[in-house]
Amino acid sequence: MALISKMYELTYILTPILTEDQNAEVLSRVTRIIEQRAGGTIVEIDEWGLRRMAYPVAKKRNGYYVNMYFRGPSHVVDLVEQELRINDNVLRYLTLAMDKGMIAHYEQRTRKKLESAEAAEAAATEEESTDQE
Amino acid sequence: MASSLRYIDYKDTEFLERYINEQGKMLPRRVTDTPAKKQRAIARAIKRARHLAMLPYVSDSVR
Repeated sequence: MALISKMYELTYILTPILTEDQNAEVLSRVTRIIEQRAGGTIVEIDEWGLRRMAYPVAKKRNGYYVNMYFRGPSHVVDLVEQELRINDNVLRYLTLAMDKGMIAHYEQRTRKKLESAEAAEAAATEEESTDQE
Repeated sequence: MASSLRYIDYKDTEFLERYINEQGKMLPRRVTDTPAKKQRAIARAIKRARHLAMLPYVSDSVR
């Protein structure tokens, strides 16, 4: 039997009043649910950090954004959303099951990010070598 | 041949902002002249971005 495992994208916003440790605590709870309770795998975690929101939520103007990608069986979403719903520090969340188009878009973005990182690195080393001359 | 529609990302607010007016309202197809399929994809992306407070539901500059 083929293992039914989809790729998901999740973005959630935490209240800005938390400490860095508390932000990490929420993230580790989420990853623990995905990996241990649901048997999924984390693909990527991208913490955007504190951003100004377009409108106030719960009387807060800023929010701590976390965007992540993971794979897992379908009940992984239920388990994760249950945690996010209960956790009062979570202002908003959005989970999407990724279809082919979204995955293609994601891979393209990842590739671009990698290329630009490599280009930046290459530029940095080049600069270094010219500095030495 | 028309290229098939690419996924429209709710995270790309810079792109989505081109399809809303100063009040934060979505522009009608009549104005944007966008294919129906793409317009629907944009609408979906804008609504997702609004939920995550990345775009406004309303932004009246009349203060």
